[in-house]
Amino acid sequence: MRGRNKDRERRDIRKTRRKSLKHILKTTAAAAALVVAAPAVHAEPLKIGIIESLSGAQTSTGRLFAAGVKFGIDQINAEGGFNGEPIEVVEYDNAGGATEAADKFRQAAADGVNIVIQGASSAIAGQITEDVRKHNIRNPGNEILFMNIGAEAMELTGEKCHFYHFRFTTTAPMRVNALTNAMGQAGELGTKVMSMNQNYSWGQDMQAAIAAAAENNNYQVVDEVLHDVNKIQDFAPFVARIKSAEPDTVITGNWSNDLLLLMKASGDAGLDVRFGTAFLDQPGNLANAGATALGHYIANNYDNSAGSEEFAEEYKSAIGHYPRFVEPQAAFAAGMLGEALAGLDFGGGEVNVTDIALALENAAYESPIGTISVRAEDHQTIRPVVVSKVVENATYPADDTEMGFQSVAVVPAEQAIYPVQESCSMERPG
Amino acid sequence: MSVKAKLILGTAVLLGLIIMPPFLDAGWQNALNTMLIASLFALSFNLLAGQAGLLSFGHAAYFGIGAFAALHLMQAIEDGLPIATPLLPLAGALAGLIAGVCAGWFATMRSGVYFALVTLAIAELFHSFAPHLKNLFGGESGISGMRMPWAGFNFGTVLEVYYLTLAWVIVCTALLWAYTRTPFGRLTLALRDNEQRVLFMGYDAHIAKTVIFAVSAMFSGVAGALQAMSNETANYALFASHVSAQVVLYTYVGGATLFFGPVFGAVAFTLFAFLVSDLTRSWLFYQGLIFVLVMLYAPNGIGGAIAYHVRHWRELNWSRLAQPYGIALIGGMLVTAGVVFVTETVSILFGLEYENLRGNAEGGFPEFALLGGTWSPTSPITWALPASLLIGGIWLIRKAIKQINDTQDDNRELDDSVTDKEGVQA
Amino acid sequence: MEFLIISTLNGVIYGLLLFMVSAGLTLIFGMMGILNFAHASFYMLGAYLAYALSPIIGFWGGILVAPLLVGLFGMLTERYLLRRVHAHGHAHELLLTFGLALIIAEVVKLFFGDFPVAYQIPDDLRFAAFSVFGTDYPFYRVFIGTVAVAMFVVLWLLLSRTRVGIVVRAAERLPEIAEALGHNIPVVFMCVFGAGAALAGLAGAVAGAFYPTNPNMAAELGVIVFVVVVVGGLGSLKGSLLASLLIGLFSSFAVGIDLSLANLLGLIGLGDWARSVGGLLTTEVSSISGTIPFALMLLVLLVRPAGLMGERN
Repeated sequence: MRGRNKDRERRDIRKTRRKSLKHILKTTAAAAALVVAAPAVHAEPLKIGIIESLSGAQTSTGRLFAAGVKFGIDQINAEGGFNGEPIEVVEYDNAGGATEAADKFRQAAADGVNIVIQGASSAIAGQITEDVRKHNIRNPGNEILFMNIGAEAMELTGEKCHFYHFRFTTTAPMRVNALTNAMGQAGELGTKVMSMNQNYSWGQDMQAAIAAAAENNNYQVVDEVLHDVNKIQDFAPFVARIKSAEPDTVITGNWSNDLLLLMKASGDAGLDVRFGTAFLDQPGNLANAGATALGHYIANNYDNSAGSEEFAEEYKSAIGHYPRFVEPQAAFAAGMLGEALAGLDFGGGEVNVTDIALALENAAYESPIGTISVRAEDHQTIRPVVVSKVVENATYPADDTEMGFQSVAVVPAEQAIYPVQESCSMERPG
Repeated sequence: MSVKAKLILGTAVLLGLIIMPPFLDAGWQNALNTMLIASLFALSFNLLAGQAGLLSFGHAAYFGIGAFAALHLMQAIEDGLPIATPLLPLAGALAGLIAGVCAGWFATMRSGVYFALVTLAIAELFHSFAPHLKNLFGGESGISGMRMPWAGFNFGTVLEVYYLTLAWVIVCTALLWAYTRTPFGRLTLALRDNEQRVLFMGYDAHIAKTVIFAVSAMFSGVAGALQAMSNETANYALFASHVSAQVVLYTYVGGATLFFGPVFGAVAFTLFAFLVSDLTRSWLFYQGLIFVLVMLYAPNGIGGAIAYHVRHWRELNWSRLAQPYGIALIGGMLVTAGVVFVTETVSILFGLEYENLRGNAEGGFPEFALLGGTWSPTSPITWALPASLLIGGIWLIRKAIKQINDTQDDNRELDDSVTDKEGVQA
Repeated sequence: MEFLIISTLNGVIYGLLLFMVSAGLTLIFGMMGILNFAHASFYMLGAYLAYALSPIIGFWGGILVAPLLVGLFGMLTERYLLRRVHAHGHAHELLLTFGLALIIAEVVKLFFGDFPVAYQIPDDLRFAAFSVFGTDYPFYRVFIGTVAVAMFVVLWLLLSRTRVGIVVRAAERLPEIAEALGHNIPVVFMCVFGAGAALAGLAGAVAGAFYPTNPNMAAELGVIVFVVVVVGGLGSLKGSLLASLLIGLFSSFAVGIDLSLANLLGLIGLGDWARSVGGLLTTEVSSISGTIPFALMLLVLLVRPAGLMGERN
């Protein structure tokens, strides 16, 4: 027994000696390396956190936002990144809930993220923008910027506006004004319009915008409906209501099931009405609606048929499909960030988010359909709005069908924008 | 487990919770905070479900009401009301209590499945009406506030919020524990076991159940208030059915028969969500799977299983059990690896990115990356690996179970033979 | 007048759809005391399986085979999952079906993605059955209604006129005695559960082509089905039919009603006050049409838990 122990002891001593020798060599080497490499100081990368709905009900939309952002950032990194390092992108899954989003924001703040990006769901954006505002008050010098790439609730640039929030998408009035304008000019609007929307902030914004645009576009709002969000299985009663109101056009901000069911029900009833929508290009809609969808309109941030082939092809070769739904606006937001960063130089040192925000205010991005710039008073981007129509044999078919969107008009940015809301009183830094 | 051992364990955990957090990063502090809130919610739920035997499927209603009440108070403090910020959860307690009395009075008129359905309906009503009541619930975007400083504390960092939450959770847990030691606490258990007998003893079961419901709702309200304090906002999504579902999951996976059982479940699931939700997109599936497996094979939950072993500490033949437990553990890990592999593979193969890959490869079956390696869907290895993991794991677990059963049978034989010899129970 | 007729037709058809799904649930509850949270998941499975099968064996093939597969899955669930937790009480069974619903929803998302899939009615079925006041009434809706009615008739005949039906009814009333008489009650339970699942699967296969097939369809329909089953009376088939029609008609009509409590109060002169208070008093019936069934369920549960036609116990 003792003999064995002694052998073990001898082995251990030898191991320890070898270990300490190795240790000394390593430390010397490290010290030498440090001395040699001293001048090359490690630069501070810009960290971006995408807090998105990557699981749960809105997953498909959330993942498209993430894909678009990553495409844009990859392009910036391909040209050298920022501050001497590639921009780091981390994804956080908020599972479609505001509480989880708050949790993930705290996680992102703990991870040292400089910019937070989010787009699917105005409720979540409302949560994040408040969290960002409070974080910035409590951590002067360590601010975080919030790039909102898809939440369209008016209050985000109204009551809840603050210096570190930027909205890189349209809002209800922008979409409605463009839509009614373009449809009117194409002679497809008519004089009687019905508003069918979901009963929450977005739907209410849409309803208000539709009423406000009536005078300028020579139509009368014959009926207004606000219905439960994503709860209604059978839209036939609503179609009956449309029938009794006898509009020429129905304008709706509905998304997901609410839009799909509405269109299916109206197609089945043989209703002869034009739909003006905001979210008809959501993946799955055209395939599910089938021929019913033909002839209806949409107003959104971008359509492949209005933009350049170059962008579409570039996107396809990087991601694998032509840009769809919200991917373009996400990519453009990232591109705009790139524009802002190009004019900044922190010399490899700490990233100053306030400077980035100030640079963003002055950035102008050349998207394939026009220039996108920021309005300093409420940080809403002034951007063109595309109005398209669903046609057969489209250039860019959607959802494995033959149908797709064909742009009818591109409303220039200055015409599309809405006036600054009185409720926004932005405190500027310094 | 002796009282002394329990005290030592409890003190150790408490000390850990108090001392460790400043050394952790803010992400972990936040996770601990969430775990504490979830634990309190689960404990309050278990008062109703585990101790009183009334399974409620709508406890989110009281959690949510507590949150909103706390936020309204927070806003009032912002506007100048001279109440100390640490007292915010009191508003949640009050709101939860009132809501609990009202809802409980009606809900406890029924029992069993009907009771569950009433609570479900109440929560759904809250969920549907909240967006319409803008003054109370802030519509769809909810209400938000900001923690005001008090007595030199800014409450601006996660750590400060954590300590406040910890203090409240300790107090509430102590109160809940004290509750179980009172005669009324015993009555609660009696109601679960034999309501008729309780009636015969002269108690008014309906009032008793209403009180229990109200107490449970009160503590849920505190939990909701703590979350509102931490997030500084609340919206109607707090009333959603999946919040009610989560607390049910926590409680039953943790074990409803043990006082601290729900805490195990709450901690396990919150930790799981914290660690796994950013790693894989199928984490909800894993969560559901764990829940079903626990329901099937460990009906008393994790806590129940631990309690069993602790209770039979001396009787169990640990040296003989160590081997099969070890085998079962290895088997479990193999099965987990296999399930994860299959799930992730399916998730990738049926996902959009793979569709794009296939589109580029013109309809073939290109390779995909998973867990650091690349695999080909047509290669038999890709399927043989998880299959062998699963089969191997299940075989090992079955073997372990057989060994454990044999050990227990042998023990019983031994006991019987001793009894025979001595004529009394050994 | 047109609104009335169309709404009635729509309400009846939607009600019949609800009946198709809730028939199985109420049968299972009446027999085994299990409130199956996963029942709406069977509905969803039926739709997805039909979608997956229809390219291979055609639309009608999908509608025939999908329910059979779902029924088989139901039987396996009962045999291997539910029976195992039966000993631990009703709460555990409830929880198990609950967990099952979660898993099924996630598995569907794994295989088919998070957004709606294009499960369509074949083009040759897309015609109008008849025309009412200038609005076409799609044939497929009538088809759904017909399937539901046929289902009710078959079930009722099966339960009341056949030997199998007698055994099933006996097993529901007094399972031990029925077992003592020599019938294999566990097998009966398994088959009833499977049949209930198959019915839900059939409803899914048929309706999924008309309504969008997406991973949320179980959650969306699930709660309403509970309402139907409760209002009709847990365990009563006829009650279930009545309640489904009631709720279907109500949902259909409520959409057109723009009245609120304020209007009601206006009748006694308090209209302006109500409007100034806002909130619940000015919420129109049409915007909360999806909510009122819950209030109805609560009312029924509190006032008459046996429902419209259930047995008092």
